[in-house]
Amino acid sequence: MSRRAANALYYGLTHTALLLCAGILFCLLFAIIWQGAQAISLEFLISRARDFGTSGGIGFQILGSLLIVVTAAIVVLPLAVGTAIFRQSFIKSARRKNTLDTILYALNAIPSVTYGIFGLIFFVNILGTGLSWFVGSLILAMMMLPTVTLASHAAMQSLPSGYAENAAALGLTRGEVVRRVILPQSAHGIVTGLLIALARAIGETAPIMFIATAFSGTGIPRSLLEPVATLPTHILALAQQSTNPQALQNAWGASLTLVAFVALFSALAFFARRHLTRLSQR
Amino acid sequence: MTTAALNTISQSALKNRPRDGIRTFARVSAFGTSAIIILILATLFLQSGPAIFTASDSLFTARWNPAEGVYGIVPMVFGSLFVMVIAMSLALPIGLLAAMAISQMRHQGLRRLTKSALEILAGIPSIVYGLIGVAYVSIWVAGAFDLQSGRIILTAGLILAVMILPTFLSLSEDAISSVPRAYQENGAALGLYPYETQRAIILPAAAPGISSAALLALGRALGETMAVMLVIGSLDRLPRPLFNPLSSGQTITSKLGREIGESAFGSTHFSVLVLMSLILVTLTIALTIAARHIVKPGSPS
Repeated sequence: MSRRAANALYYGLTHTALLLCAGILFCLLFAIIWQGAQAISLEFLISRARDFGTSGGIGFQILGSLLIVVTAAIVVLPLAVGTAIFRQSFIKSARRKNTLDTILYALNAIPSVTYGIFGLIFFVNILGTGLSWFVGSLILAMMMLPTVTLASHAAMQSLPSGYAENAAALGLTRGEVVRRVILPQSAHGIVTGLLIALARAIGETAPIMFIATAFSGTGIPRSLLEPVATLPTHILALAQQSTNPQALQNAWGASLTLVAFVALFSALAFFARRHLTRLSQR
Repeated sequence: MTTAALNTISQSALKNRPRDGIRTFARVSAFGTSAIIILILATLFLQSGPAIFTASDSLFTARWNPAEGVYGIVPMVFGSLFVMVIAMSLALPIGLLAAMAISQMRHQGLRRLTKSALEILAGIPSIVYGLIGVAYVSIWVAGAFDLQSGRIILTAGLILAVMILPTFLSLSEDAISSVPRAYQENGAALGLYPYETQRAIILPAAAPGISSAALLALGRALGETMAVMLVIGSLDRLPRPLFNPLSSGQTITSKLGREIGESAFGSTHFSVLVLMSLILVTLTIALTIAARHIVKPGSPS
């Protein structure tokens, strides 16, 4: 093969691959939006599910999903920010920094179904909580922890080292440096990380399906120890009765709603990254 | 006064100042983070203990039948590997070729658009991929191969390939783009075609990043649950013949997703499932750590 022909083949193959990827993306989005739009109406979004989800809407599923992930975000925020501060300001030895990084990457590597199994063993059975939305929030918080910590730490690390040094030279203690300089200057990174983690967490099924959710007969929980209905587990239940066209249609409706929430959180994260710049750059 | 003495004074001055809560807070948080991973691994380890003692004679066989007390995990481990190989052999070449195409794009706006499109693809929840698999892909596959049911190993591999594609594509594009621009310009100045520059200069330089992306994609593929569980057909047997992708199967994750909620806590059945989960976690953590170690030596990122 001549060099020119090899180069032409290279162009052909790489661009075919790119077109294929674009085609897959287009087909997926088209299917989700087209099928979902046929199922969604205002009534579908606010009414409760009836007849095992084949009629009625997904009102409580939306509430349940939001309740679980927002609580998880509230739980994870202090833990992640604290860990990031520790990594940034209170560890000196490179080896301990490396250990903490390895722990965070290992947490990130644990498959989502394993988080669910851990929750089932530790909370539901050993601590005896039973099915509980709050346990679901705790497990999702653990899953969100590496994302939020790494994003917060990346923002802290990108600060010019002069900031902390100048503040220390002015006589601030290390704690004051963290509170007055590092935290406010890296707030944009923390918010962005939290939103990215939320976008991922709201779509998770495997971690919560054994421990936090029930398919029918749930409303607004009155205590921490009650199950709720959520969008992903609702889609799972409907997808398993896929021979019933009505169930399938409602599954598409719930999917489009779920993807819309993911898109909303991602868009907010994008917005936060662009517009909440460092205080010093305003 | 010597510097050493100055240092001692300033150190003691720092120590004598009032301590605020931030240090304690940070320390407690970091301790909590470390405790979580230890707690997860210890819980899995302790709960999978009974399986090793009571089911040890059947554990590494290919027969699964809890009613008879036979718990062979070989079909699930084989299924996980089989599905993973199918997914990787599709996603790696397509992803790498597309990454090269993106990195060649001169138009910055177009590149940014492509990257955001990839993020959208990566953001679609796995349960939605599962629904697409049930509603479309399994039916297409059944039609194409004239099967009664499209819930087979091949379908799971196809869905999984699409799911890991954006991760691999995006990370390997980062690796290719991080190769200094001058390398490519020098290649062109030597009279090489773009293809020759890519193959002889850019790809070798980006190889650590690309292999690390592949390992991360592999870990993702092994741990993926919902989509695989919905389309693989859940059959606890080895395919016949062994490498027949048109047979139904079972992966570790689909087995866990289907059965852990139904098996009684504390039973041998439950314990064997936890053992499978422990095997899975060990693999994914090892892959992630390996991926980090590949990138480290000698790379600027």
